[in-house]
Amino acid sequence: MGKSEIQQKINNSYLRRALKNFAAAYPVARAKALEGIDFEELRSRISTGKRALLKRLPEFVAEFTRNAELAGATVHLCRTRDDANRTIHRIMQEQGATFLVKSKAMTSEEIELNHYLEQQGIRCLETDLGEWIIQLAGERPSHMVLPAIHKNKEEVAELFSKATGKELPADIPILVRAAREKLRSGFLTGQVGLSGGNVAIADSGAIGIMTNEGNARLVTTLPRTHIALIGVEKIVPDLAAALDVMEILPKNATGQKITSYVSFIKGPTGGEGRELHIVLLDNGRMALAGDPVFSEALTCVRCGACANVCPIYEIVGGHVFGHIYVGGIGLVITPFLHGFDKAEDILKLCIGCRKCNEVCASKIDIEGLIVDLRDRIRKPTGQKFLFGTLMKNRKLFHAALRAAYLAQKPFQGEGGRIRHLPLVLNSDVGGKSLPPIAEKPYRDLVKAAGERLEAKGERLKEKGKREKVLFFTGCLADFVFPEICRDAQESLELLGYEVSFPQNQLCCGIPARYSGEMEVARDMARLNTDVLLAEDADYVVTICPTCTVSLKHDFPKLLESEPAYHAKALKLAEKVFNYSELAAKRLGSGEWGVGSGEIRETVTYHDACHLRRGCGVYQEPRRVLTELAGVEVVEMTDCDKCCGFGGSYSFKFPEISAEVLKNKKEKIRETGVATVAVDCPGCKMQIEGGLETDGSSIKVEHSATLVARRLRK
Amino acid sequence: MVYQFTTAAEAVGATVKQFSGMSGVVRYLQEVSGGEKVAFSHLPEEYAELHEIFPPVPPTEYPQVGFCLSVAQAGIAGTGSLLLDLSNTEERSATALAPIHLVLLKKSTILPDLRAAAPLLQSALTAGKSGYLSITTGPSRTADIERVLTIGVHGPKELHILILEGA
Repeated sequence: MGKSEIQQKINNSYLRRALKNFAAAYPVARAKALEGIDFEELRSRISTGKRALLKRLPEFVAEFTRNAELAGATVHLCRTRDDANRTIHRIMQEQGATFLVKSKAMTSEEIELNHYLEQQGIRCLETDLGEWIIQLAGERPSHMVLPAIHKNKEEVAELFSKATGKELPADIPILVRAAREKLRSGFLTGQVGLSGGNVAIADSGAIGIMTNEGNARLVTTLPRTHIALIGVEKIVPDLAAALDVMEILPKNATGQKITSYVSFIKGPTGGEGRELHIVLLDNGRMALAGDPVFSEALTCVRCGACANVCPIYEIVGGHVFGHIYVGGIGLVITPFLHGFDKAEDILKLCIGCRKCNEVCASKIDIEGLIVDLRDRIRKPTGQKFLFGTLMKNRKLFHAALRAAYLAQKPFQGEGGRIRHLPLVLNSDVGGKSLPPIAEKPYRDLVKAAGERLEAKGERLKEKGKREKVLFFTGCLADFVFPEICRDAQESLELLGYEVSFPQNQLCCGIPARYSGEMEVARDMARLNTDVLLAEDADYVVTICPTCTVSLKHDFPKLLESEPAYHAKALKLAEKVFNYSELAAKRLGSGEWGVGSGEIRETVTYHDACHLRRGCGVYQEPRRVLTELAGVEVVEMTDCDKCCGFGGSYSFKFPEISAEVLKNKKEKIRETGVATVAVDCPGCKMQIEGGLETDGSSIKVEHSATLVARRLRK
Repeated sequence: MVYQFTTAAEAVGATVKQFSGMSGVVRYLQEVSGGEKVAFSHLPEEYAELHEIFPPVPPTEYPQVGFCLSVAQAGIAGTGSLLLDLSNTEERSATALAPIHLVLLKKSTILPDLRAAAPLLQSALTAGKSGYLSITTGPSRTADIERVLTIGVHGPKELHILILEGA
């Protein structure tokens, strides 16, 4: 996966349109299919059941094997890809068969079965329409459920014309009919049929297959021998667990309530001469099942929802975003099934927005596993100095940022914003201008926000009688947006808090953690925990949701193995709140009402990924805006979809970041507002820079700024 | 529940008809098939009369036959689905190959949802040594080209559900 390949996908207008339309249609269809279903309850049950099963996987493999064999099937547990390929070849040889007719099986893509068998002189025919298209094109699936989503009807017409020897128009019903006619002879003459399987039921030895086209029924019925190639993790204990998976799968995959065909196959049917071979594929799964951290990845039911909602997949598609398995979970399982060398580059492609976690059918922390994997495959790089030395040393890091203020001066344009960066840096900043590093960081301006306010004639409650708040600004706000820090501190003071700024605070550690520098992140967690617990305070407030996630959720995880620090981190976590949450505590007191007779400004609210999905906070910001800032909130479509910033992501992949940003700007413009409210300095930097580059007059303001503006009046 | 079943089945492209007795069913079958061959096998005893009206079709002719008839074990109202026991390979071939699939469903066997059908599935899965069960919902479909829904790929292009009242 190189830069040129990414650019090629971005420039592919058909692919972009197809994925964009799908991204817009999918959530609507999914919501409709899930009507009346308690999704959280269902996926929790699937997750719990599958996790428990993985702990005893060998036992369940044995139980399934015993029952399937009692029903007359032959079960082959294959440890490796080669093993599975050879086993299937041997079964073919025993039948004297040279023609394999197939329905869809991702496992077959995983072991590259067609390639192997064709080298042995065996003809393979894919009959799932999407799989046939990509077989004819000599490609691999770009989606687990819609394998040929990247192909348009003109390309399909060309492929089908060649395959059928007839000149076919780019007309979908005609193309489907042509496929039906052409593939029919394959079903009738295929000597062995191969299918995948969505579940393998241990207590009965049956397998379950869900399809729409009806090809799996033909493949498992007409040839006298049926081979089912199934990942060993697809075993479920019983029918109830199987039905849970089959209930959630089509709804999450394509927004269908159920697929056209759900088949349960127990043993071979049809009497003498009929055979059913079940090839259980291990290929690293049994070892992965024992991994304390990553075994979770095996609970995946392969619905593909993680790709369907991924803002990056929407831009580049599955040929870039994944290896053989695509989407978020594809990134996670690739290293275990295909090797860590295949995974290193693709793991960097995740922007960390956690949208996948929200829809995952088995509640996998996909984003968390991607971050943890980066640590596992980390190699020594030039980032060593940045993370290992610079960021841990507060004085050195902050001195470097101050020096950067001077260095940037020649590049500042009108209004002080940076449009072009020097040398290598100026190649691409992701379609946005950048704000400059401030002349004075907030840490130099911080003293006495209270005094400042009182000097302006604001009356504050007596010191010592107010709840004490420690202000953790985060680097970006501290050095680039000191005015947001000021607005946050002043508005909180006006809301009756006493706010102070511990000078020894340092970076929250997320940039290090996301780059796989877990040890550095751990150091930062320890240092910050000590700094923030040194003073006795009621709350710790952050104005950057990424810092909130880090302090509140990551520190306890990072320090889990150090009991003393873990306890401290948990104590700290209880005190940490995002700005909007803390401001929201003052709602409903009557003291800070909406007021009357004012012209209410209209804003739209962009949910930061780390606030909405990282902290589960999305109601408070809206209430703070309407009730404390006195503005009206008009919702935009996809208000919680990533803006494309993702910290260093927008510099690593500026071309992708720019496209994600483009989508966000489109949705903002549709609302017709003049202001976008955000709770994240990163989102502000990204969206503001993008709008500014477009010459738009739409402003992007942190909630704190909007609240402060009103309270100061 | 019949109404719910009908609505759900029609929403996925099935044709649903209700009949008060077998005479109506026979008339409908004759009308739809227009005198052409209808493949079926292993009909329960109570439908024996159909064997006299529709001559048997040898399985070798299934790939060319235009119609296939089967009897559902149960209906699932929530999704408009049919539970079919297709353990008989010939019957299964017929339902997978024929362009038009006709299914008899007793009104009394319609269940609210998939969960309610679980005991039936479970007993079918444990009853015989081996077996093949199918939950069929609407005709065969694909959205693999440009995500455009197209009915009738490899399986039936039409699914007719004949609900027998009072049965």
